[in-house]
Amino acid sequence: MDLVLQLLFTGIGIGAVYALVALGFVLIFRATNVVNFAQGEFSMVAAYLMVVFAVDLGWPYWLSFLLALAGMALLGVIFNLGVYYPLRHRTFLPVIIATIGASILMANSVLAIYGPQPQVLQGWFETPGIQLGPVYLDSQYLLIIAVTVVMVIFNYWFFEHTMLGKKLQATSQDKEMASLLGISVSTMIMITFIYSAVLGGLAGILVAPVLFVSIQMGSTIALKAFAATIIGGFGDVAGAIIGGLALGVIETFGAAYISVPYKDGFAFLVLVLFLIFRPQGIFGERVAEKA
Amino acid sequence: MALLQINDLIVLYGEIEALRGVSLSVDEGQVVTLLGANGAGKSTTLRAISGLAKPAAGEILFDGKSIAGLGPEAIVRLGISHVPEGRRIFPGLTVKENIMLGASNRRVAKAELSREADAMFDLFPDIRQFSSSLGWTLSGGQLQMVAVARGLMAKPRLLLLDEPSLGLAPVIVQAVFRIIAQIRQDTTVLLVEQNARMGLSVADHGYVLETGRIVLGGKPDELWGNEAIAAAYLGGHAKARA
Repeated sequence: MDLVLQLLFTGIGIGAVYALVALGFVLIFRATNVVNFAQGEFSMVAAYLMVVFAVDLGWPYWLSFLLALAGMALLGVIFNLGVYYPLRHRTFLPVIIATIGASILMANSVLAIYGPQPQVLQGWFETPGIQLGPVYLDSQYLLIIAVTVVMVIFNYWFFEHTMLGKKLQATSQDKEMASLLGISVSTMIMITFIYSAVLGGLAGILVAPVLFVSIQMGSTIALKAFAATIIGGFGDVAGAIIGGLALGVIETFGAAYISVPYKDGFAFLVLVLFLIFRPQGIFGERVAEKA
Repeated sequence: MALLQINDLIVLYGEIEALRGVSLSVDEGQVVTLLGANGAGKSTTLRAISGLAKPAAGEILFDGKSIAGLGPEAIVRLGISHVPEGRRIFPGLTVKENIMLGASNRRVAKAELSREADAMFDLFPDIRQFSSSLGWTLSGGQLQMVAVARGLMAKPRLLLLDEPSLGLAPVIVQAVFRIIAQIRQDTTVLLVEQNARMGLSVADHGYVLETGRIVLGGKPDELWGNEAIAAAYLGGHAKARA
């Protein structure tokens, strides 16, 4: 039982990272009808920005954190203008290919600067963790969970209780109608890219001390987050979060009870099972808004 | 000077000329009805005015200033509100949210927006009870009411209404037209209709559009006596649409 609780904690912690990235996927998908294959690279770039500021330059952690997030917001702007905007009137295919291209560009730019050697980033806290009864709560995982909870609440408030959130929803549901009402569609999409880049970056910064900071971390996280969105029900915000958490828990338990080397395999096994037996995902029934 | 003046407007969809030189004018305070069969170019005319379709040639003057080629976001800020075909209510937002978003062309604080939306329910009492229902749950007639309410939230000088009667039961159509008769007290309306009887009943002036051209224009009673109207609307080549 102790082990189960311990694994649950770790699983939710890693799942929270997938949930944040999956949320970024879903928001961009809803706004542009395109899957952003560079979503994972947002996490990777943000982790490297942390390495630049906190390790190479030796700046305070909180300052590096804020600068890295600001850098991600800027990257969101550049990404929107450079990758999405020129192709916005095309079908989804050229845009998807452009996001794949952007992802390769980002990964290789970082590779050119830092080389293939993984970098190490310290955690936020000096204390490694706290013992709570039978469960050891790693401080970095606690931080990840706390930040994710805050972001989920913020996301809900932002989309449900602000006019800007309503305009973003309107834009994702019917762009032409939104423009007829005077909503600036290109501004709404710009905001979506900035927000998604910051979410992805946040995930990357939080998970960096747990994993190594490497070129591959982006694609690994993105694949898991993508699987999470399908498990949750593609395009569904709650589904992305639940799917991400579920995936983190499943792979943690799989690694502990079945096989460690196949840890990453479990995520995709679950993905395949969902695609066969419940392709609409956990929340897939709620497609009413497309009616 | 007319509030809206269109001269020799040409709109192309690819190679096809959807509008082949349309000219019409709408004076301030009028209701002008644009009649025509399916595919005559009625919706295209409205889409060109609101900026959804780009004119290939011709003039669109609003209050004397050219608006041809401007984007829809800019045009609605000038005071032209377009309630398009199919209502286009945001399905995942509530009725009240839909109505509040109608004022996106103006800078209004959220609390004030909420008050204005509540006031809108006085004009549309039938949808008040659905204030917090999601858009997709409403019936066609209710959606039409929401669409018009949302269009009015822009406080337009000119309201473009595209086939408000489409797919509605006769009693609902009458309710919609009662509202149009009320709206005209402070807003100029350009109305597109297939239902000639209802369309002309509220109009000061009517135009008949046929395959991208205005073939007839005049006061409603002049149009009633015309054989072209009978041919276009009683001849039966206008197919019913879902």
